Amino acid sequence: MNLIFTAVFALSAVVMLINAPSDFLPAMLDGGLNAAKCCLTLFCIYIVWMGISAVAEDCRLTQKAAKLLYRPCKKLFKTENSAAIESISMNLSCNLLGIGGAATPYGVKAVNALEKDGNEFAQNLLFIINATSVQLIPTTVITLRAAAGSAAAHDIALPSLIATAVSTFTGVALYILVSKIKFKRAVKRKKCST
Amino acid sequence: MQYVIPAVFILVFIVAAFKRVNVFSSFSRGAGEAVKFVFSLLPLLACTFIMCELFERSHLSDALSKALSPALSFFGVPSELSKLILIKPFSGSGSLAYLSRIISDYGADSYIGRCACVLYGSSETVFYISVVYFAKCKNKRRILPIIVILAATLISTITACLLCRIM
Repeated sequence: MNLIFTAVFALSAVVMLINAPSDFLPAMLDGGLNAAKCCLTLFCIYIVWMGISAVAEDCRLTQKAAKLLYRPCKKLFKTENSAAIESISMNLSCNLLGIGGAATPYGVKAVNALEKDGNEFAQNLLFIINATSVQLIPTTVITLRAAAGSAAAHDIALPSLIATAVSTFTGVALYILVSKIKFKRAVKRKKCST
Repeated sequence: MQYVIPAVFILVFIVAAFKRVNVFSSFSRGAGEAVKFVFSLLPLLACTFIMCELFERSHLSDALSKALSPALSFFGVPSELSKLILIKPFSGSGSLAYLSRIISDYGADSYIGRCACVLYGSSETVFYISVVYFAKCKNKRRILPIIVILAATLISTITACLLCRIM
């Protein structure tokens, strides 16, 4: 992130110095304002969802959901950490239900639980699944299309579903492949050094 | 779909009533965790949003999308969409604004309009999500997963344009 941040920041500053120097500070302030607005929106979302998930946890509902997904999660994420698996399975089920707001707090909880084991593979994989998340029905886009007077606002639902499935699948497959290659290389290097 | 969320809440409350869980105190405990969590995000989000704003306002995104469009049109992606593809990983609200402009310019049922909709629905704001997910991790340099996601998004973009032509 540091590299991307510095590069984008420096390049934009140079370009704006030439093109629109008076717009530089307002742009940054707007960025800050957007961050504050975003935090406020997130705050509302997380208060509701983390509240209801705390209730579900105290009822031991989440443990039941985790039991169902325990085995596939253990295999895919290569972790034995039961707290992490519980959060992961809740994250995945919320994603499938299309409740993105509830999925994120569980995802973050899982990432933090995995941090204790130093399991970066599982952290990254969970991040990839969420960042390419399968969205069953793209409600925002459909609303927008209907408002623009589309004759068939829903007809993009199926292509969207296929496209998100493709992105999730390729993301996961690509990451597993790359980390396998990396692992093999590390093993080879160890052999060479001993 | 609008039935899912109320149904989930009702289910949780019914189970809570059966198990005699104190709903009020549990809910407020969760809300308290949300407060801590969002405050820990604010500084990181500020950096990301300032970067995104600069990226767009400096017209770097325009220049980059112009440079990218020949490569994208080689894969069958219309060049009008290159800016949307570029902005989407950075900013959700920015790309939504751009999507509505494309729809009003080209029409919702045109090929370009439909492609734009599928693209928008099938990709996520990667940088923002990476900030949220790795806020408490020691290792914040996660270049590899971001590259993997961007590559996967590109492949799904090409698929999306192909699908819009067939379907």
